Amino acid sequence: MIRSKQIDRPQVVLVVDDQEINRDALGVTLEDYYEVIYAENGKEALELMNEHFDELSIVLLDLMMPVMNGYEVLERVKDDEQLKRIPIIVLTSEKSAELKALQLGAADFITKPFDIHEVIIARVRRIIELSEGKKLISAAEHDHLTGLYNRSFFFEYVNRVYLYHKDMKMDALVINIEQFHAINAMNGREFGDDVLKAIGEGINEFLSEHNGIGSRTHADHFDIYCEHQDDYQPLHEKIQDKANALSPNVRIYTRMGVMPYSEGVDPVTMFDRARAACNMARGDYQHPVIVYDEKLLQKEMLDIRLLNDLDKAIEEKQFKVYYQPKYDIQCDHPRLRSAEALVRWQHPELGMISPGDFIPLFEGNGLINKVDSYVWKEASRQCSEWKKKYNYTLPISMNVSRADVYDFSLVERLKKLMDDNHLDCNSIKLEMTESAYTDDAKRVLEVINQLRALGFEIEMDDFGSGYSSLNMLSQMPIDVLKMDMKFVRNIEESETDLRLVKLILDIARYLGLTVVAEGVETGGQLKLLKDAGCNLVQGFYFSKAVKPEEFALMIEKEIEERKQNDD
Amino acid sequence: MTIEELYQQIGGDYEQAQKVLRMDKLIDKYIRKLAQNEIFSNLFNASEGLDPTTVFEAAHAIKGVCANLGLVSLSEKASELAEEFRPGNGRNLSDEDVRARIEEIKQQFNSSVEGIKEYEASQS
Repeated sequence: MIRSKQIDRPQVVLVVDDQEINRDALGVTLEDYYEVIYAENGKEALELMNEHFDELSIVLLDLMMPVMNGYEVLERVKDDEQLKRIPIIVLTSEKSAELKALQLGAADFITKPFDIHEVIIARVRRIIELSEGKKLISAAEHDHLTGLYNRSFFFEYVNRVYLYHKDMKMDALVINIEQFHAINAMNGREFGDDVLKAIGEGINEFLSEHNGIGSRTHADHFDIYCEHQDDYQPLHEKIQDKANALSPNVRIYTRMGVMPYSEGVDPVTMFDRARAACNMARGDYQHPVIVYDEKLLQKEMLDIRLLNDLDKAIEEKQFKVYYQPKYDIQCDHPRLRSAEALVRWQHPELGMISPGDFIPLFEGNGLINKVDSYVWKEASRQCSEWKKKYNYTLPISMNVSRADVYDFSLVERLKKLMDDNHLDCNSIKLEMTESAYTDDAKRVLEVINQLRALGFEIEMDDFGSGYSSLNMLSQMPIDVLKMDMKFVRNIEESETDLRLVKLILDIARYLGLTVVAEGVETGGQLKLLKDAGCNLVQGFYFSKAVKPEEFALMIEKEIEERKQNDD
Repeated sequence: MTIEELYQQIGGDYEQAQKVLRMDKLIDKYIRKLAQNEIFSNLFNASEGLDPTTVFEAAHAIKGVCANLGLVSLSEKASELAEEFRPGNGRNLSDEDVRARIEEIKQQFNSSVEGIKEYEASQS
């Protein structure tokens, strides 16, 4: 067991007086309570203070001394970051000296002669307690990992700078680490801490050269408030270099949002905007530093509006589900085989909003689940309606977002949806973007296996748009590969792109997967894909996503063709 | 001769010394050391030139040391002298008056030293 005395830091008192009798007079009073060391003049005192700065609890300092007097000691200590944390009590018999000493940073004074020793002890004890309390505050002031300020102190100081130094043109910066939770999960918390430390180090180095303060506000979020600069790329590079140096096997990406000084904009707003800019840089490894500007302001306003309007939009059925057909191109005539359900937002005031404007927004904060559920419900209802009307089931693909995979009721909910609409699970295909597969492979694998066991077909969406790995293709039990439109776009002009498409088709064939080519716009592209053996295509060449009533006509046409073929 | 008797003889306040130094042996130690303390010779040597810094520093130190030792009268006299030469204070006394006061301190110091010697002799 550790006794409290052992936990306590040793309390050392330095008595500085040129007269031995004075030193002894204080010594006999203090030595019952403290370890006492002595100096005869200011010069010796400073030497001892530097030597014992981490043990010294207090200095009792005479003012009139040869070699170096007490005032000079106070002056020097005032400018020394390390020494100024040690409180100093001045020993004096003059009232006039007291004020000057206090102005120079003395914590208190003891009058000579030292006749009431209880008063001396009490004063020394009180000042030590005060000062240790201050140091405790100082410990709470800083983040232990990085040495940067913690959130509350940081914003307190930011506000002070803003209020009392209006002439300083300060920028707000926010720095985040991409997928920090994944770095922690994959490499252990200790490594995660090393990453935070490395970034803190980069920020501290930057702050030692620039006028500003920094904070790790929480987790992997860093804020900096510093005097305006035109270019923060060098800071980002410095931080990135520090992170990269940690391990050759782990690639760490950081992103930075900058809100440049803007007259009259308060710090809270400054940091909100810097954060918005930082969020814009999420996932964009090519442009990790984003500066907040008018365009971002408008985008942010729109985002806030959309987030605000989401629930009402669902309630009022403002979301419309459109259907884009997928055609089998390996037949004599292309034949309608299925459709992808795509969401549009018919906003009562803003008009039709593109999915590109709201899907990434809702994906970023988990609200996409609400939109997805809405679309699933509507698409299943529609599929069921067509099934009844035409006595023919045309499979519909629905998008499953990354966030949906983490919903433990997902499988159950989808099954219930099928039951409620009297649909077989094979009437619905589920499209998951490839990024969903990279997040938590174990969980994804589990979910996919359960869904496939029920009869759902799984399509890997946007294959090739992000981090695809062939290894993943062989491990994930999927049925369909949707080749991202960027592969298709240039196959007419670029031999290389065409070769790449052929390669993907070969691999898919080898793995027994059906391939859907997305974004097919021309007859030329269609022919090349058909010749290369691609099964299905989707794109403007056949049709954009259309309203259900328009899509119904396509179904009717397909049914008609079937009849003719049967005849 | 006891130390209390010494204090009576030299006009000191023994209780005051006890309050400050708390231990008789410390009072004994410093009263014996009084004669060797350079601050007195510093003051007496400055009597001729009256260098303000030297007089102030010496008088100030004497004031403190004597106050701690309960040598109240010496401390008060030194204090007056220190105020006369404190930087920033204007001079009120003529040089002659100052010299007279230094002389007064010297005599009182010498007679105290005499008493202390007797005390030391009685202790050995």
